[in-house]
Amino acid sequence: MRLLSVLITICCLTQSWALHSSEAGIVDWHKPLVGVPLYSTLSTAPAFHRISEADGRTHSVVLTATASNVLAALDPVDGTIAWRHIFEANEHVIAYKQHGNVVATVSGSGGATLRLLDATTGHLLVERCFHKLEAGRLFEPETLGTALAFDNEENGDTYVLSNAHILRRTNAKTGEVVWGWSAPDQASLVAYSRLIATSSTVYVVGLAKSFTSYTLHVSAVSAKTGEFITSIDVPSSITNGLTDFFVLASNKHPQVKPRIMWLEGGAIKSFPLTPELKETPMMIKGAEYHKIVDVGLSEHGQFVAIKEDGAGRVIRLGEDGVKVIWEFAESATSKQYTESIYSGGLDKDGWPYIARVYWSHISKKASAHILAAHLADGKGLVTGFTLPFQTSDHGVITHVAVDIANPEEFKVLARLFLTTSTGAVQLWQQNELQWSREEGLAEIKVAELVELPEKQVVTAHAGEDEPVGERLVRQLSDARDFPQYALNFARRFVTGSYASVSSSVAPSANASEPLARDEFGFRKVIIAVTARSKIYGIDSANGEVLWSRVFGLGWAAEVGGHIIPVKIFVTRTVNDGGAPEVVLVTQRKASNSLVDTVIFHVNPLTGEDVRDPTSPRDGLLQGLDVIAGPLVETYMLQLGPSNVVVLLDEFVQVHLYPNTDEIRDAFVKALPSIYLPLRTGPPKHRQLTGHQISPKPEFTGKHVAQPTWTLSLPPSEDILAIIPRPREPIASLGKVLGNRTTLYKYLNPHLSAVVAGSSVSCSLYLIDSAKGTVLYHVVLPSTDGACDIKVVLAENWLVYQYYDGDMGGVDQAKGYRIVSVELYEGSGVDDKTRSSDLSSLSNKSTAITTFEETFVLPRAISTIVSTATTHGITMKDIIVASENHQIQSFPRRFLDPRRPKRKPTNEELEEWLIQYDPILPDDPKRVLSHTYQVVGTKHIVTSPALLESTSLVFAYGQDLFFTRVAPSNTFDVLSEDFNKAQLVLTIAGLALAIVIAKPIVRRKRLREKWYDQ
Amino acid sequence: MSASVIDPSKWKHLPPPPGFGASSSTVCHRTPTKTSKAATASYEELKTKRAWDFAIAPAKSLPMQAFMLYMSGGGVQIFSMGIVFMLLSSPFKNLAGINTAFAPFAPGSAPPKAFSTLVLQKIVYFLCNILTLALGLWKCRSMGLLPTGTGDWLAFETRGPSPEISLL
Repeated sequence: MRLLSVLITICCLTQSWALHSSEAGIVDWHKPLVGVPLYSTLSTAPAFHRISEADGRTHSVVLTATASNVLAALDPVDGTIAWRHIFEANEHVIAYKQHGNVVATVSGSGGATLRLLDATTGHLLVERCFHKLEAGRLFEPETLGTALAFDNEENGDTYVLSNAHILRRTNAKTGEVVWGWSAPDQASLVAYSRLIATSSTVYVVGLAKSFTSYTLHVSAVSAKTGEFITSIDVPSSITNGLTDFFVLASNKHPQVKPRIMWLEGGAIKSFPLTPELKETPMMIKGAEYHKIVDVGLSEHGQFVAIKEDGAGRVIRLGEDGVKVIWEFAESATSKQYTESIYSGGLDKDGWPYIARVYWSHISKKASAHILAAHLADGKGLVTGFTLPFQTSDHGVITHVAVDIANPEEFKVLARLFLTTSTGAVQLWQQNELQWSREEGLAEIKVAELVELPEKQVVTAHAGEDEPVGERLVRQLSDARDFPQYALNFARRFVTGSYASVSSSVAPSANASEPLARDEFGFRKVIIAVTARSKIYGIDSANGEVLWSRVFGLGWAAEVGGHIIPVKIFVTRTVNDGGAPEVVLVTQRKASNSLVDTVIFHVNPLTGEDVRDPTSPRDGLLQGLDVIAGPLVETYMLQLGPSNVVVLLDEFVQVHLYPNTDEIRDAFVKALPSIYLPLRTGPPKHRQLTGHQISPKPEFTGKHVAQPTWTLSLPPSEDILAIIPRPREPIASLGKVLGNRTTLYKYLNPHLSAVVAGSSVSCSLYLIDSAKGTVLYHVVLPSTDGACDIKVVLAENWLVYQYYDGDMGGVDQAKGYRIVSVELYEGSGVDDKTRSSDLSSLSNKSTAITTFEETFVLPRAISTIVSTATTHGITMKDIIVASENHQIQSFPRRFLDPRRPKRKPTNEELEEWLIQYDPILPDDPKRVLSHTYQVVGTKHIVTSPALLESTSLVFAYGQDLFFTRVAPSNTFDVLSEDFNKAQLVLTIAGLALAIVIAKPIVRRKRLREKWYDQ
Repeated sequence: MSASVIDPSKWKHLPPPPGFGASSSTVCHRTPTKTSKAATASYEELKTKRAWDFAIAPAKSLPMQAFMLYMSGGGVQIFSMGIVFMLLSSPFKNLAGINTAFAPFAPGSAPPKAFSTLVLQKIVYFLCNILTLALGLWKCRSMGLLPTGTGDWLAFETRGPSPEISLL
């Protein structure tokens, strides 16, 4: 063992591991994602934008702001990301507006920063900060109080309304503020939220709070100088301040004055805007309206009003005033189809169109009707088609963006950009699906890697009583491939073209074989569950989605609700025989505020429901309601051969899944030795309390957990995270020093790290979770009142990272610190307490020796993990996702707390200790993501491959990134440049020499016997 | 080849060739017996001396071997390993063949291959070989090849499962 570890160390030292450029893109893959579009407000929702090039041609992009805080442009032709602009985590994107070749975007609370981006490339043209993030006024929703408009006449200057009372005109080229105007009564209750610019005047429209409703308030400001012209209160009463008013203009008819449209008591009213604001409100007669919908055509003079019965009417602002021009047929509320989604789009010439999309329960298809109001001599033309939308795969349509082509009169072709409830975005050209992107994968909540079964080489045949003839035929047909096999074998033997560790494990394109692993177990299936009610099986070889299922809501389907994934357990692997199984524990929050705990039990290879294999694969995946109430904690417990999911409800009663008699008996037998620490107490003051489960069930028939100990944290501290030590094999029980004494590793299986924090400081504890003893405690500074400590705990060591913002002295600096702690048994060398199988109740279980050392990390990280291998022989690397969108590995050898602070002695050199250097080497060769920009990584999962030297790494959060690392080099396979041919030739040569020399020697011996002496 | 190693006892009992009969030597029978007795005594003495020399030979070569060890260095390489192997194996080889090795020096009266002949010399020879072995072991230790530390036995340690199960 020692020799092996020495060998490994030598390997590691002699050639530092790095990714070869030939392996980039072969051993790893990267799926850039933009996130799920923010469709709830028009200023962030997806929209087509047509960009004219210098040579007169045009091309389109689909612009959208997303829930991942990204402003993205997708290419509508093939669905690739044209560009994406990533905002800082604390600076949310609030609005964007496109104009010509420029996209303006406002971000940060209250509209702190304006950026102008090139619409084709996404390059940042101008950046202008209006106020500090902290100075921003907070609104709910965040988009309120911010608006963007472009100056149509001149050079495309931008008008920005921020903080609901400040209007600025910004130069398009330089970003200079041309003028700024601040509402004088900013302290009053007027909150401006709409903005419209004409060539002479800029109008800002807001709401003033009155007793029961809101009143409109308008200010007119000179566009040239920013001079305040006038402002008035429009007599009005608006109940919903977010949606029930907007400003309508018609850029086809510049002489028509823009109008404020609002809904007041079932009637639509309008107020024409002139610089003097002297007009009077008017009312559109005709019907009772339920709501008005701005479909994104407010600058083109059209919007949709929904009548009391649900029917949609299109209203247009024209030269003849505001008029109802169309009513969509059969759009009234009905049981046969869903509520319609209205969306506006433009064609190449800027004519507005309105699309109505709805789902028909009868035909199980989506329908789209497109209204072209200007066609058919201005009478209006409606064309329609149906979309075979896969509702079982993508949920329901939540947003539609439209782009229209009108190649000839009476021909209207539509492109629809759909956003679905599962987070997919799709582009349909008429009734044909062009492409689909699973943007829901940017919101993966839990993920797990599941091993694949071996390839089935031997095919099963009929039983023993097979007639001779048939058997002969079968065997002959089996032997048909033999010559090829023999040839292959010979070639492989001679050339040494075996499976390579640096080759792709993706299946060939035309392979329709069942899922199977490769030689080294690099190919696994990634089970990922998103926050949008969908579970995916992803091929780790290339990132393709193998299968996906949408969760059913059970009884809550009636009222609606959503499913929050909590934990995922691999309850059966291929090594246990049979198909693998995963159990997903979720909480279902129904819209009527009832919470249930639901379990989904699926086969990770196919996505089939294990509980009900007969259920159709294309239907919804239905779960099992295990607890009619919220979940407190859930664990996986190994009871004999099977793994059981243990769930605790809010009364700390124990529920088991699966719940059979044998499992219950085995559970009762194991009960006395089960300890569980739980977070108890009110929120913000949670304490850690150890529990044991009562041996006798209560009257409810359930076992109940009872408290045994409490970890007495300071009352101000709240438990933020509990990180258990992963249960993985450990090859070596100790660390052998240079003088061949041993430091025995402290391998207490109950070791867990607890992060607790108050507003002023953070604490990190290492505790024995069976008896609640604190083994290690450190107090760390908090950053801006929040505890942002990243912890990784494995074997006998702990590594944590924090930000040190203190300037303690002249020689100290602010920065990210990483601390490495190692725990050893007893009081020093050669003192062993057998901590891994010692009872926690023994006194000796807390006898530890600690070594710790601090290092400086070059940059902030968002998550930290260690690699995992099958037997734990390979050294562990630390893998971090850093703020510059990279995944990087650090060898743990650099984080050894026993690194000497002087020149290492011979004995220390024998341990491969190197002199302490506070700065960790930031080696660009160890950036696993090489040229990829892996954005928004929140978690990294590591999983062992079959090959001991290699660990699989999967990073998720927004982008998906997968690679494999060999921290100690691939010591268990021959290197790529091993000369097999030479070896074979040498052996063959020697064999030949033996064949030739043997008779000669024999003859010589015989001669000697006759003729010698 | 086998002809060259004829046992002298075989030709001792051959009849003398014609003309060289035993009777011819009886003339000077007395005096030669005396001189041959003295010769035998000195021969025996010589043998004892040689036996002593042989017994302490391993000790004599120790300084030279120590020098060789010093020259071969402390690393685990083919040369140092060869020398150490020689040092470790030769005492055992020597001791295994101790009776045969001392047979030529056995006094005429004693059975040459018996363990009891030349006991004193054999004990000294044994001790000297132990010295060589000790030198070899010392070298092994200094090279770190002797499993004396706990670290050398770490790989054989095993641990069972923990008596408690903590769920986390």
